[in-house]
Amino acid sequence: MKHPLRLAALGVGLVVAVFAVILALNVGTDPRAEYNTSLLLGEPAPDFRLTRLDGSTLTLGDLAGKTVIVNFWNSWCLPCRDELPALQKWNAQHADDDSVVMVGIPRDDSTGAIRAAARSDQMTWAVVNDRGAEAATLDYATRGQPETFVINPSGIVVGSILGPMRPADLDRMTRVGQGGR
Amino acid sequence: MSGPGPSRRVAWLVLGVIVIVALAVALWPRGGVERESDHVRRLASEFRCVDCEGLSVADSATASARIQRRDIAERVRRGDSDEAIRGWYVAKFRESVLLKPSSRGVGVVVWALPVLVLLLGGAALAFALRRWSRQPRLTPSPEDVTFVASRRSDGPDERGPGERGPDERGPDERGA
Repeated sequence: MKHPLRLAALGVGLVVAVFAVILALNVGTDPRAEYNTSLLLGEPAPDFRLTRLDGSTLTLGDLAGKTVIVNFWNSWCLPCRDELPALQKWNAQHADDDSVVMVGIPRDDSTGAIRAAARSDQMTWAVVNDRGAEAATLDYATRGQPETFVINPSGIVVGSILGPMRPADLDRMTRVGQGGR
Repeated sequence: MSGPGPSRRVAWLVLGVIVIVALAVALWPRGGVERESDHVRRLASEFRCVDCEGLSVADSATASARIQRRDIAERVRRGDSDEAIRGWYVAKFRESVLLKPSSRGVGVVVWALPVLVLLLGGAALAFALRRWSRQPRLTPSPEDVTFVASRRSDGPDERGPGERGPDERGPDERGA
Protein backbone atom coordinates (compact mmCIF):
# COMPACT_ATOMS: atom_id res chain seq x y z
CA MET A 1 0.00 0.00 0.00
CA LYS A 2 1.68 3.15 -1.20
CA HIS A 3 -0.51 5.82 0.44
CA PRO A 4 -2.18 4.37 3.53
CA LEU A 5 -3.00 7.82 4.91
CA ARG A 6 -4.72 8.83 1.71
CA LEU A 7 -6.70 5.57 1.75
CA ALA A 8 -7.73 6.09 5.37
CA ALA A 9 -8.84 9.67 4.60
CA LEU A 10 -10.79 8.33 1.64
CA GLY A 11 -12.40 5.72 3.92
CA VAL A 12 -13.44 8.35 6.48
CA GLY A 13 -14.81 10.55 3.69
CA LEU A 14 -16.74 7.62 2.26
CA VAL A 15 -18.28 6.73 5.64
CA VAL A 16 -19.30 10.36 6.24
CA ALA A 17 -20.80 10.54 2.73
CA VAL A 18 -22.79 7.31 3.30
CA PHE A 19 -24.00 8.70 6.63
CA ALA A 20 -25.07 11.96 4.97
CA VAL A 21 -27.01 10.06 2.29
CA ILE A 22 -28.78 7.89 4.90
CA LEU A 23 -29.69 10.98 6.92
CA ALA A 24 -30.90 12.83 3.83
CA LEU A 25 -33.13 9.90 2.89
CA ASN A 26 -34.58 9.55 6.38
CA VAL A 27 -34.95 13.14 7.49
CA GLY A 28 -37.49 15.27 5.65
CA THR A 29 -37.09 18.93 4.86
CA ASP A 30 -39.87 19.85 7.26
CA PRO A 31 -38.81 18.90 10.79
CA ARG A 32 -42.43 19.18 12.02
CA ALA A 33 -43.89 17.01 9.23
CA GLU A 34 -43.58 13.74 11.14
CA TYR A 35 -44.73 15.39 14.34
CA ASN A 36 -47.87 16.76 12.69
CA THR A 37 -48.92 13.41 11.28
CA SER A 38 -50.68 10.97 13.58
CA LEU A 39 -49.70 7.33 13.34
CA LEU A 40 -53.38 6.50 13.78
CA LEU A 41 -54.35 7.77 10.33
CA GLY A 42 -55.87 4.89 8.39
CA GLU A 43 -55.93 2.69 11.50
CA PRO A 44 -58.93 1.49 13.51
CA ALA A 45 -59.67 4.07 16.20
CA PRO A 46 -58.72 2.89 19.69
CA ASP A 47 -61.82 2.08 21.69
CA PHE A 48 -62.56 4.10 24.79
CA ARG A 49 -64.83 3.74 27.78
CA LEU A 50 -65.55 7.06 29.39
CA THR A 51 -67.94 8.61 31.87
CA ARG A 52 -69.88 11.66 30.78
CA LEU A 53 -70.48 14.59 33.09
CA ASP A 54 -74.05 13.37 33.65
CA GLY A 55 -72.70 10.03 34.89
CA SER A 56 -73.61 7.92 31.85
CA THR A 57 -71.01 5.74 30.14
CA LEU A 58 -69.82 6.39 26.63
CA THR A 59 -67.86 3.94 24.48
CA LEU A 60 -66.71 4.23 20.90
CA GLY A 61 -68.80 1.15 20.18
CA ASP A 62 -71.92 3.14 21.12
CA LEU A 63 -71.11 5.51 18.28
CA ALA A 64 -70.60 2.85 15.59
CA GLY A 65 -71.92 3.92 12.20
CA LYS A 66 -71.47 7.62 12.95
CA THR A 67 -68.77 10.09 12.03
CA VAL A 68 -67.08 10.92 15.33
CA ILE A 69 -65.07 14.04 16.02
CA VAL A 70 -62.86 13.44 19.07
CA ASN A 71 -61.52 16.66 20.52
CA PHE A 72 -58.84 16.51 23.24
CA TRP A 73 -58.79 19.69 25.28
CA ASN A 74 -58.19 21.24 28.71
CA SER A 75 -60.03 24.05 30.44
CA TRP A 76 -56.74 25.86 31.19
CA CYS A 77 -55.45 25.62 27.63
CA LEU A 78 -55.56 28.97 25.78
CA PRO A 79 -55.42 27.52 22.23
CA CYS A 80 -58.38 25.32 23.28
CA ARG A 81 -60.30 28.46 24.16
CA ASP A 82 -59.30 29.94 20.79
CA GLU A 83 -60.99 27.10 18.92
CA LEU A 84 -64.06 27.03 21.17
CA PRO A 85 -66.16 29.27 18.85
CA ALA A 86 -65.49 26.85 15.97
CA LEU A 87 -66.64 23.90 18.09
CA GLN A 88 -69.75 25.76 19.24
CA LYS A 89 -70.61 26.75 15.67
CA TRP A 90 -70.12 23.17 14.41
CA ASN A 91 -72.24 21.80 17.26
CA ALA A 92 -75.09 24.22 16.49
CA GLN A 93 -74.95 23.36 12.77
CA HIS A 94 -75.17 19.62 13.46
CA ALA A 95 -77.62 19.71 16.37
CA ASP A 96 -80.21 17.79 14.35
CA ASP A 97 -77.78 15.54 12.49
CA ASP A 98 -77.59 12.07 14.02
CA SER A 99 -74.87 10.90 11.65
CA VAL A 100 -72.15 12.98 13.30
CA VAL A 101 -71.19 13.41 16.94
CA MET A 102 -68.49 15.26 18.84
CA VAL A 103 -66.77 13.98 21.98
CA GLY A 104 -64.68 16.29 24.16
CA ILE A 105 -62.00 14.50 26.18
CA PRO A 106 -59.98 16.52 28.71
CA ARG A 107 -56.33 15.45 28.76
CA ASP A 108 -55.22 16.59 32.20
CA ASP A 109 -57.74 18.58 34.16
CA SER A 110 -59.73 18.66 37.40
CA THR A 111 -63.38 17.60 37.59
CA GLY A 112 -64.43 21.01 38.93
CA ALA A 113 -62.70 22.90 36.13
CA ILE A 114 -64.18 20.60 33.48
CA ARG A 115 -67.71 21.01 34.85
CA ALA A 116 -67.32 24.78 35.14
CA ALA A 117 -65.96 25.12 31.62
CA ALA A 118 -68.66 22.88 30.12
CA ARG A 119 -71.33 24.95 31.82
CA SER A 120 -69.97 28.42 31.14
CA ASP A 121 -68.93 27.67 27.56
CA GLN A 122 -72.17 25.87 26.60
CA MET A 123 -70.30 22.69 25.68
CA THR A 124 -73.41 20.71 24.92
CA TRP A 125 -71.56 17.96 23.09
CA ALA A 126 -70.46 14.80 24.88
CA VAL A 127 -67.89 15.92 27.43
CA VAL A 128 -66.35 13.19 29.55
CA ASN A 129 -64.46 13.18 32.78
CA ASP A 130 -62.77 10.23 34.39
CA ARG A 131 -59.56 8.24 34.47
CA GLY A 132 -60.58 6.63 31.18
CA ALA A 133 -59.92 9.99 29.56
CA GLU A 134 -56.26 9.67 30.43
CA ALA A 135 -56.12 6.19 28.88
CA ALA A 136 -57.77 7.57 25.73
CA THR A 137 -55.25 10.41 25.68
CA LEU A 138 -52.46 7.85 25.54
CA ASP A 139 -54.24 5.40 23.23
CA TYR A 140 -54.73 8.19 20.71
CA ALA A 141 -51.06 9.17 21.17
CA THR A 142 -52.04 12.81 21.61
CA ARG A 143 -49.16 15.24 21.42
CA GLY A 144 -50.74 18.27 23.03
CA GLN A 145 -54.00 20.14 23.27
CA PRO A 146 -56.14 20.84 21.46
CA GLU A 147 -55.81 17.83 19.18
CA THR A 148 -58.72 16.54 17.15
CA PHE A 149 -59.33 13.25 15.37
CA VAL A 150 -62.08 12.31 12.96
CA ILE A 151 -63.31 8.73 12.86
CA ASN A 152 -65.42 7.54 9.95
CA PRO A 153 -68.56 5.37 10.36
CA SER A 154 -66.42 2.25 9.88
CA GLY A 155 -64.32 3.17 12.92
CA ILE A 156 -61.18 4.22 11.00
CA VAL A 157 -59.24 7.36 11.90
CA VAL A 158 -59.33 9.43 8.72
CA GLY A 159 -58.05 12.79 9.92
CA SER A 160 -56.26 14.59 12.73
CA ILE A 161 -55.32 18.16 13.52
CA LEU A 162 -52.91 19.24 16.22
CA GLY A 163 -53.63 22.78 17.36
CA PRO A 164 -56.69 25.04 17.33
CA MET A 165 -59.17 24.53 14.51
CA ARG A 166 -61.10 27.07 12.51
CA PRO A 167 -64.69 26.37 11.40
CA ALA A 168 -63.39 25.48 7.90
CA ASP A 169 -61.10 22.81 9.41
CA LEU A 170 -64.02 21.22 11.23
CA ASP A 171 -66.19 21.29 8.10
CA ARG A 172 -63.40 19.67 6.08
CA MET A 173 -62.83 17.01 8.77
CA THR A 174 -66.54 16.26 8.86
CA ARG A 175 -66.64 15.85 5.07
CA VAL A 176 -63.59 13.55 5.19
CA GLY A 177 -65.24 11.55 7.97
CA GLN A 178 -68.39 11.19 5.90
CA GLY A 179 -66.36 9.89 2.97
CA GLY A 180 -66.18 13.10 0.98
CA ARG A 181 -63.20 15.34 0.19
CA MET B 1 16.70 -0.49 17.48
CA SER B 2 16.38 -0.97 21.25
CA GLY B 3 12.89 -0.98 22.92
CA PRO B 4 11.61 1.48 25.48
CA GLY B 5 13.44 1.64 28.80
CA PRO B 6 12.08 -0.20 31.87
CA SER B 7 10.77 2.98 33.50
CA ARG B 8 8.78 3.84 30.40
CA ARG B 9 7.35 0.31 30.29
CA VAL B 10 6.28 0.61 33.95
CA ALA B 11 4.62 3.97 33.21
CA TRP B 12 2.63 2.44 30.32
CA LEU B 13 1.69 -0.53 32.52
CA VAL B 14 0.45 1.76 35.32
CA LEU B 15 -1.51 3.84 32.80
CA GLY B 16 -3.09 0.68 31.38
CA VAL B 17 -4.09 -0.55 34.83
CA ILE B 18 -5.62 2.84 35.69
CA VAL B 19 -7.66 2.86 32.46
CA ILE B 20 -8.91 -0.71 33.01
CA VAL B 21 -9.85 -0.03 36.65
CA ALA B 22 -11.64 3.22 35.69
CA LEU B 23 -13.62 1.44 32.96
CA ALA B 24 -14.50 -1.43 35.31
CA VAL B 25 -15.73 0.98 38.00
CA ALA B 26 -17.76 2.99 35.46
CA LEU B 27 -19.35 -0.03 33.81
CA TRP B 28 -19.87 -2.24 36.87
CA PRO B 29 -23.60 -2.71 37.53
CA ARG B 30 -24.77 -0.91 40.64
CA GLY B 31 -25.88 -3.20 43.39
CA GLY B 32 -29.08 -3.04 45.41
CA VAL B 33 -32.74 -3.13 44.46
CA GLU B 34 -33.97 -0.13 42.49
CA ARG B 35 -36.85 1.70 44.18
CA GLU B 36 -40.06 2.01 42.16
CA SER B 37 -39.85 5.80 42.01
CA ASP B 38 -36.25 5.56 40.73
CA HIS B 39 -37.35 2.97 38.20
CA VAL B 40 -40.15 5.23 36.93
CA ARG B 41 -37.84 8.23 36.79
CA ARG B 42 -35.15 6.26 34.94
CA LEU B 43 -37.65 5.12 32.32
CA ALA B 44 -39.31 8.53 32.07
CA SER B 45 -35.92 10.10 31.44
CA GLU B 46 -35.51 7.86 28.38
CA PHE B 47 -38.58 9.32 26.64
CA ARG B 48 -38.82 12.63 24.84
CA CYS B 49 -41.61 14.91 26.03
CA VAL B 50 -43.99 15.03 23.04
CA ASP B 51 -45.16 18.62 23.46
CA CYS B 52 -41.96 20.42 24.38
CA GLU B 53 -38.51 20.83 22.90
CA GLY B 54 -35.54 18.82 24.09
CA LEU B 55 -36.86 17.74 27.49
CA SER B 56 -37.48 14.27 28.80
CA VAL B 57 -40.80 13.11 30.22
CA ALA B 58 -39.08 13.04 33.61
CA ASP B 59 -38.03 16.69 33.43
CA SER B 60 -41.01 18.31 31.73
CA ALA B 61 -44.02 19.86 33.48
CA THR B 62 -46.40 19.70 30.51
CA ALA B 63 -49.73 17.85 30.60
CA SER B 64 -48.39 15.19 28.23
CA ALA B 65 -45.37 14.55 30.45
CA ARG B 66 -47.55 14.33 33.58
CA ILE B 67 -49.87 11.85 31.86
CA GLN B 68 -46.96 9.78 30.62
CA ARG B 69 -45.23 9.75 34.02
CA ARG B 70 -48.44 8.43 35.61
CA ASP B 71 -48.79 5.86 32.83
CA ILE B 72 -45.18 4.67 33.16
CA ALA B 73 -45.64 4.36 36.95
CA GLU B 74 -48.79 2.32 36.38
CA ARG B 75 -47.03 0.01 33.91
CA VAL B 76 -44.09 -0.45 36.27
CA ARG B 77 -46.47 -1.23 39.15
CA ARG B 78 -48.25 -3.92 37.17
CA GLY B 79 -44.92 -5.51 36.32
CA ASP B 80 -44.40 -4.62 32.63
CA SER B 81 -40.78 -5.02 31.56
CA ASP B 82 -38.75 -1.99 30.54
CA GLU B 83 -38.57 -3.38 27.00
CA ALA B 84 -42.36 -3.74 26.84
CA ILE B 85 -42.86 -0.15 28.06
CA ARG B 86 -40.33 1.19 25.55
CA GLY B 87 -41.97 -0.88 22.81
CA TRP B 88 -45.44 0.49 23.63
CA TYR B 89 -44.25 4.10 23.51
CA VAL B 90 -42.30 3.60 20.27
CA ALA B 91 -45.36 1.94 18.68
CA LYS B 92 -47.54 4.89 19.74
CA PHE B 93 -45.20 7.83 19.19
CA ARG B 94 -42.55 6.52 16.74
CA GLU B 95 -38.86 5.89 17.32
CA SER B 96 -38.28 9.61 17.86
CA VAL B 97 -39.91 9.36 21.29
CA LEU B 98 -36.67 7.76 22.51
CA LEU B 99 -34.08 10.30 23.61
CA LYS B 100 -31.35 7.70 23.08
CA PRO B 101 -31.47 6.33 19.54
CA SER B 102 -32.16 2.62 19.37
CA SER B 103 -29.57 0.19 18.02
CA ARG B 104 -31.89 -0.93 15.24
CA GLY B 105 -32.60 0.50 11.78
CA VAL B 106 -31.18 3.94 11.09
CA GLY B 107 -30.22 4.14 14.76
CA VAL B 108 -27.37 1.72 14.02
CA VAL B 109 -25.68 4.41 11.92
CA VAL B 110 -25.74 6.86 14.81
CA TRP B 111 -23.99 4.35 17.05
CA ALA B 112 -21.68 2.84 14.45
CA LEU B 113 -20.41 5.97 12.72
CA PRO B 114 -18.30 7.36 15.61
CA VAL B 115 -16.80 3.90 16.18
CA LEU B 116 -16.01 3.53 12.47
CA VAL B 117 -14.45 6.98 12.26
CA LEU B 118 -12.46 6.28 15.43
CA LEU B 119 -11.22 2.97 14.03
CA LEU B 120 -10.29 4.48 10.66
CA GLY B 121 -8.58 7.42 12.37
CA GLY B 122 -6.66 5.04 14.64
CA ALA B 123 -5.62 2.94 11.66
CA ALA B 124 -4.44 6.05 9.82
CA LEU B 125 -2.45 7.15 12.87
CA ALA B 126 -0.90 3.69 13.21
CA PHE B 127 0.09 3.70 9.52
CA ALA B 128 1.60 7.16 9.85
CA LEU B 129 3.57 6.28 12.99
CA ARG B 130 4.87 3.09 11.37
CA ARG B 131 5.94 4.93 8.27
CA TRP B 132 7.72 7.60 10.28
CA SER B 133 9.51 4.99 12.41
CA ARG B 134 10.71 3.19 9.26
CA GLN B 135 12.10 6.30 7.59
CA PRO B 136 15.95 6.23 7.64
CA ARG B 137 17.46 8.73 10.02
CA LEU B 138 20.08 11.06 8.54
CA THR B 139 23.51 9.79 9.50
CA PRO B 140 26.66 11.96 9.19
CA SER B 141 28.90 11.19 6.24
CA PRO B 142 32.66 10.65 6.86
CA GLU B 143 33.16 14.09 5.36
CA ASP B 144 30.80 15.63 7.98
CA VAL B 145 32.59 13.84 10.80
CA THR B 146 36.00 15.04 9.62
CA PHE B 147 34.73 18.59 9.24
CA VAL B 148 33.14 18.72 12.70
CA ALA B 149 36.27 17.21 14.26
CA SER B 150 38.47 19.76 12.53
CA ARG B 151 36.29 22.66 13.63
CA ARG B 152 36.25 21.41 17.19
CA SER B 153 40.02 21.16 17.27
CA ASP B 154 40.32 24.76 15.96
CA GLY B 155 38.21 26.15 18.80
CA PRO B 156 34.98 28.17 18.53
CA ASP B 157 34.58 30.19 15.32
CA GLU B 158 32.97 33.57 16.00
CA ARG B 159 32.53 34.40 12.30
CA GLY B 160 29.15 34.03 10.60
CA PRO B 161 28.56 31.72 7.60
CA GLY B 162 28.89 34.63 5.14
CA GLU B 163 32.32 35.58 6.51
CA ARG B 164 33.86 32.12 6.04
CA GLY B 165 35.63 31.07 2.82
CA PRO B 166 34.19 28.31 0.55
CA ASP B 167 36.62 25.70 1.92
CA GLU B 168 35.70 26.52 5.49
CA ARG B 169 31.98 25.94 5.03
CA GLY B 170 30.43 22.76 6.29
CA PRO B 171 28.86 20.21 3.91
CA ASP B 172 25.37 21.51 4.67
CA GLU B 173 26.32 25.11 3.81
CA ARG B 174 28.05 24.29 0.50
CA GLY B 175 25.02 23.54 -1.50
CA ALA B 176 23.26 26.68 -0.34
